[in-house]
Order: sequence, then C-alpha cells, then structure tokens
Amino acid sequence: MRASDDNVPSQRSVLERILIRSWEYRHLRFWAGYRIVVGIIVAFCGVATLWVGAYRWAALFLVPAALLLAFGYWEMTIAYRLLYAPLPQRVRELEQSRSRVVDDSAAGLRRIERDLHDGAQAQLVAVAMKLGLAAKKLGGMVDGTGQTDLDRVLELVAAAHRGTKEAITELRDLARGIHPPALDQGLGAALATLAARSDLPVELVIDLPERPSPAIETIAYFCAAELLANAAKHGGAQHATLEAAHVPGLLRVQVTDDGIGGARVETHGGLAGLAERVRTVDGRLRLSSPPGGPTMVTVELPSHA
Amino acid sequence: MRIVIAEDSAVVRAGLAEILADSGHEVVAAVGDADGLLAAVAEHHPDAAVVDVRMPPGYTDEGVRAAIAIRRDHPKTGVLVFSQYIETHYAADLLGAASGGSAAGVGYLLKDRVSDVDEFVEALSRVAAGGTALDPEVVTQLLAASRRTDKLRSFTAREREVLALMAEGRSNSAIAATLVVSERAVEKHVANIFSKLTLAPSDADNRRVLAVLRYLES
Repeated sequence: MRASDDNVPSQRSVLERILIRSWEYRHLRFWAGYRIVVGIIVAFCGVATLWVGAYRWAALFLVPAALLLAFGYWEMTIAYRLLYAPLPQRVRELEQSRSRVVDDSAAGLRRIERDLHDGAQAQLVAVAMKLGLAAKKLGGMVDGTGQTDLDRVLELVAAAHRGTKEAITELRDLARGIHPPALDQGLGAALATLAARSDLPVELVIDLPERPSPAIETIAYFCAAELLANAAKHGGAQHATLEAAHVPGLLRVQVTDDGIGGARVETHGGLAGLAERVRTVDGRLRLSSPPGGPTMVTVELPSHA
Repeated sequence: MRIVIAEDSAVVRAGLAEILADSGHEVVAAVGDADGLLAAVAEHHPDAAVVDVRMPPGYTDEGVRAAIAIRRDHPKTGVLVFSQYIETHYAADLLGAASGGSAAGVGYLLKDRVSDVDEFVEALSRVAAGGTALDPEVVTQLLAASRRTDKLRSFTAREREVLALMAEGRSNSAIAATLVVSERAVEKHVANIFSKLTLAPSDADNRRVLAVLRYLES
C-alpha cells in the first residue's frame, strides 16, 4: 500500500494527514467501526430514554451519539478511500507491468536466440565448412589422390581462424549484453567500466555506500548503458556526466549531456522502452531536454525490487 | 550438378558456394530469401537447391514452404533443406510434399553436416538424383517419438540401427559398409524390419524410407 500512498499525496487534506499520522491507517477501520458501534448503542439508549419520557436526559445520550456517528462515518470514508479505492487501480497497474515484464523477457530471449543464430552460430558453421574443405584437401595431398595446393589450404585455415576470432568477439558481446560481468563487483565498478568504454568522454560521479538488490543494479546498469549510447548517438554531445547515488530506499541514476537536446519519449522508442522497464519495479524515469540542450535523464529506482 | 543456394547469412552462403565449387559443381545462383529462391529455380531449372529454413522476411519457416513449392512446381529439382536446428514437423512436411510428387528428392540436414564435405556433397547428389537424405538427428527424433508409442519394441538393436540408416536414405551396400557387415546380412535385417512393420519389401530407396517414416509418424 505504501506505493499508492506515495502516488496520491496531493489528494489529502491537512486533517486527513493528521489522522493518518495519528493512527496507522490499517487501524483506522477498527477505530471507525468502534466509534460507529458505540454511537449506535448510545443512540439506542437515547431513544430508550425518549421512550420512557425523560426528554432532558435524552439529549445527554443523543448529542454524543450524533457526534460519535458523524466522526466514525468520516473516518470510515477516509479509511475506504485510502485502503480500498486505490486497490483496483493498483491491481490494474500491476497487471500491466507484469504483462510488460513477461513480454519483455520473452522478447529478450528471442533477441538472444536471433543474435546467436545469425551471429556466432552462422560464423562457426562457416568456419566448420572452411576447415572441412581444408581437411579434405590435406587428406587428398597426404594419400596422393588430390593435387598439392598448400597455398589454398593455408588460405582456408587463415579464413577459418579469422572467422573463429569474429565468433569469439560476437559471443563476448552477446554474453556481456545478457549480464555484464563487471556487475558482480557492484554497480559502481560496472558503471566505471561502462563509462570507460563509452564513445563519449564521461564524467563519473558515484555515491553508492550500499548495494541495491541485484535486479535493481541490473536495470540501473542497462539504463545507464542505453542513456550513454543515446547521448553519443543522437544528442551530438561532446561530453556526458553519469551520476549514481544511493540513499536508503532509493537509487538515482542520472545522465546529462551537452548535446542539442529536444529528446522526447516516443512510443516504441528507446526511452519509452527504458521507462517501461523502470516502471516494472515501481521506478520513475524523468526527461528534461529543452531544444538546444542540455539533456538530462533521471532514473529513480527503489533499492529493492 | 547445377545448384541454387538460398541462405540469408552471407558467410554461410559464401562457404557453401566455395565447397560446392571446389567439389566440381556449378552454383548457378546464390540468393538470400525465399522469393529469390523461387525466381532462381524458375529461371535456371537446377538439379538441386540448398535451402535454409529461416530466411527473411519472417525468419521462421520460409525455406520449408519454398522447398514444398519447388517440389510441387519443379519435380526435377531436388531440394536439400538445411538449418541450425532440427524440427521434426518440418521433416514431416517435407516428406509429405515429397511423397505426393513423382520422385522424392528431398533432404533435411543440420548445417553442421556441411563441414563433412564429402558426405554433404554425396547427400546432395542423392537428393538431386531423386533420393532422400535425412539428418541422423531427424531420424533419432522420429525414432524417439515412435518409441513412446511402443512401435519399435519388437526390433532388435541391430534392426534399429539398420532402420535408422535406411531412414537417412542409405542404400543396403552403404549400410553394410557403415555397420561393417555383409550386404546379405543387411538384406536379411531389412526383410525382417519390413515383415515386422507388415510392409511389402521394395528395392526403391525412396519408397522404403518414406514407408518407414510414414509408419514412424503415424
């Protein structure tokens, strides 16, 4: 319930805030119910007093009863608004974010399969073909059935060697795209590696006294990677700043660049994808990119998913 | 042989062309998608086409569908489908298409097999000549599937080996050489297999492969 509590701060009156502060609002229902029940009993006493004809005494019962019932009713409406009314919306949000997570991970796996199939796998098939051909030629030379053509064999083996190296590079990039090894040493180390590998000069400001949970670190890392890549690719930037700060409960990653600005969150765009990924853990992505720059993207994530 | 290659990966396409050219065959066209393949086959009337399963635009089973279309429209062109994974139902689709036409002339191999140059070229020749070439992996999967339905329980281990090699499209003499037994022994096993499957014995390689596979699939 805390998350929805944070989402609707402006809808509350001062009195409501005092009430929430006075009682855990889980207890609000109980107190409201208690007051209403007592109010009904007192009101019943008042009616009974009226019935026997003691009109002056009746006011002593009926006035407090009215007060109790009014106050209890008011508390009950607040309890309902805080506890029950946000639930359907929260359920809808969670359903949407869950389906995004499921779609996301299925799409991610498909992308990995495609990359493997078209990249390293195809490369290795071509290598195997070249080596097969080289072996056949060498076999022919050894048993005298083929013509001696060592240059051709050398060419084939050299091509296979090149292909193997390309396949290794592709596999390494792919593996890093699945889980960057530097992340095992912590988000700070991973971001430092990322900044060092970036096409832009990146100023790094890291303040991470404690580690967030691994899932949060991974999301933060891929956000930073995408944002830095965006800055280098689209923003025309000469320089970028990557900041990461962790205070209890909140991890903030911010990428600022001195590019041309004018970036927008477009449907199916990279930023929209990031924002969705961030939303799956109840995080937020904010973009500030006036024409002429600078562009600043802030990602805020809870410490634990 | 005159051959058309359809494969979307440029490195694999080049490697394949190199192997085939080196083995003395003529690659008349090398294309990257199914439409290009159908156009090239219509234009060149090749002896055989080597076709990748996954090609643009959908990267799913474009190659299999193109292969079936070629079998229907150009019965004289043998089609060897090859891919990085074996999907048993693609094999079933291909064989179904083959048995509907006048000649078989289909093959389905894992891409890895291409690196055994001589075996690959031999399989391609078999397909071009109207024979069959099924990857041992396809056969294993089909046999495993049918083992679940208790069909092969009556076979001895040796008969199963012979059946697997038959399904790959091998002749009796090739099976005899592979298992290091006499051709007479293979003939005896084949006769036993047919009688256990209650099929009439036949000399034609295709028919027996297709009969066996159809039996296994059913």
